[in-house]
Amino acid sequence: MLRLAASFGRLPVLALALVLLAAPALAEPRFDDPPEHSADGGFTLHWEAPGAVVLERASGPDFDDAGVIYEGGDTSRVISGLPDGEYRFRLRAADADEDAWSDRITVVVEHHGLARAFGFFAVGGAVFLVLIVVLLRGRPRG
Amino acid sequence: MTALEDPILPTSLAWGLLAAFSVLWVALGAWLGRRNYTAADHMLAGRNVGLALASATAMATWVTANTTMTAPQLALELGVWGMLGYSLGALGLILFAPLARRIRELMPHGFTSGDFIRLRYGTFTWRVFLGVSLIYAFGWLISMAMAGGVLINALAGIDYRVGMTVILTVCVIYTLLGGLRAVIGTDFIQTVIIIAGAAFLAWMTIDRVGFEAIHFDLMEERPELLSLLFPAAIMFLFNNLLFGVGEIFHSNVWWSRAFAFGRNVGFRAYLLGGLLWLPIPIVAGFVALATPALGINVPAADMVGPLVAAEVLGLTGAIVVFIVVFAALASSLDSLLAATSDLVTRDIYRGHIRPQASEQAQLRATKIIVVLLGLLTWLAASYRGEVPVVGSLAALLYFTGAFVASAIWPIVAGLYWRRANPQAAAWAMLLGSGLGLASYFMIGWYVAALVGAAVSLVVMVAGTWLFPRPFDWDRLAHDDRDASPGRGNPEVAT
Repeated sequence: MLRLAASFGRLPVLALALVLLAAPALAEPRFDDPPEHSADGGFTLHWEAPGAVVLERASGPDFDDAGVIYEGGDTSRVISGLPDGEYRFRLRAADADEDAWSDRITVVVEHHGLARAFGFFAVGGAVFLVLIVVLLRGRPRG
Repeated sequence: MTALEDPILPTSLAWGLLAAFSVLWVALGAWLGRRNYTAADHMLAGRNVGLALASATAMATWVTANTTMTAPQLALELGVWGMLGYSLGALGLILFAPLARRIRELMPHGFTSGDFIRLRYGTFTWRVFLGVSLIYAFGWLISMAMAGGVLINALAGIDYRVGMTVILTVCVIYTLLGGLRAVIGTDFIQTVIIIAGAAFLAWMTIDRVGFEAIHFDLMEERPELLSLLFPAAIMFLFNNLLFGVGEIFHSNVWWSRAFAFGRNVGFRAYLLGGLLWLPIPIVAGFVALATPALGINVPAADMVGPLVAAEVLGLTGAIVVFIVVFAALASSLDSLLAATSDLVTRDIYRGHIRPQASEQAQLRATKIIVVLLGLLTWLAASYRGEVPVVGSLAALLYFTGAFVASAIWPIVAGLYWRRANPQAAAWAMLLGSGLGLASYFMIGWYVAALVGAAVSLVVMVAGTWLFPRPFDWDRLAHDDRDASPGRGNPEVAT
């Protein structure tokens, strides 16, 4: 380190030391740009990890009902079909201690209201109905 | 899209399959196109395609990478309604049946959908329509080239650019050699492969996993997928229907077939093609519902179909998926290349650059444009993920929904309403696309086409009701032989 300091000056060495210190933290699995909210009960979780991971899902804040939903070397998982609620996810390296969770996130699922859904359904149905009427008439208008 | 950790298909086997089917399609293209002497032969297969080939090409072209890869994705994301909603795309083909008959009656010598819009509405609306049409066509071409490259990479580990280049090159070569005749001929064979492959996979999935296990695990892990009151899926139903209608009603892929099919063939061909297509997304999408029961991880939603197939059938499943998706991609890529090159030849080269171009000059231009389109598509698809375009296959697909759905009413009103206002047609497309895109970002991808179609309808009806512009239908039949911008339809030119 002293030789390096002599060769390159103090600042780059400090930067190098910071990188080296930070390296173990970066090696732990982390969620990458996790979603916070979903209006259709689905989303994709991405994570960065040097190897295999364990991913768990729970519905309570203390992870009492947590269950493993994925274990392996992929770096993403599609989640879908969830009803309204708050869902917790946590991540750890597959070879880490069972309690050594390196990242946790919460995603709130709040579906569109049925009034809004049926509103769009009605608009779509009306447009479709007009189309059918125009085509069934089958002859030029006027 | 995320590739699988370990390729399922041995690379040498994948290359063998790729080579065998490439040789088959190119040889068929050369053989089928041996009697193409004029631009009409090349672009419209002599205007005399019979019912069997016509139905097969309608159905096979509508089975795209989107059907074979996005139908399972929609089942995974929107459940039972997603799967059934996707199959409503068949109504696009079925409802085009009466339009095909009317198009053939009104324009017996027509070449492209652009011809109709120009003659019916004038230059301004024609240019807006060309913009909508080319954005959609180019987006579709790129997404299919991307899908081919990603699929080959995911299943066999072959480099993305190499796989994408091979598929695109094969399609360019046989479209170039055989024109629409080759496209329709290969579509027939590809249809048989697609139906047999999709049915085989669904049957094997049910046989290996069973309905009871599929239902139980879905209820445990993803219960909303079985709910009939799933709000986003309810919103999606008519959105997908109108998206399909918009894609077919406006695109020259379908208009060129309406011109190419023999007299009285178009109506029955589109009806039959639609009915044949209806179960395909249900069969292809159903396999995705087995995901929880199989306990497989899906890293990217649009890979769920191939993943389930490979899990259930192993190497055999991977081979079947490879062949089915290659056939689906080829049948759509070639159609789109042929139809888009026709549109560019007629509406840009002849319409804007060389109005007096001879038949032979147009034939040469069509071939050059096929190559240029292939090169542009290759260039854009080569930079997948490096260009700030919409993220995934499905996201890109439904992004274009706002554009195409806004074209439904200008087309329908142009064909059936004598007093349809040309300016209203242009504004219906502009406002429909704009508000459809706004809803895409503000509400969700599952409403963009619906909003686009609804806005387009309101603008078209209001514009025509307030400012009616009578039109003489006979002008379409007389002017479509050699009309050019500025002199074809001076009354409606704006």
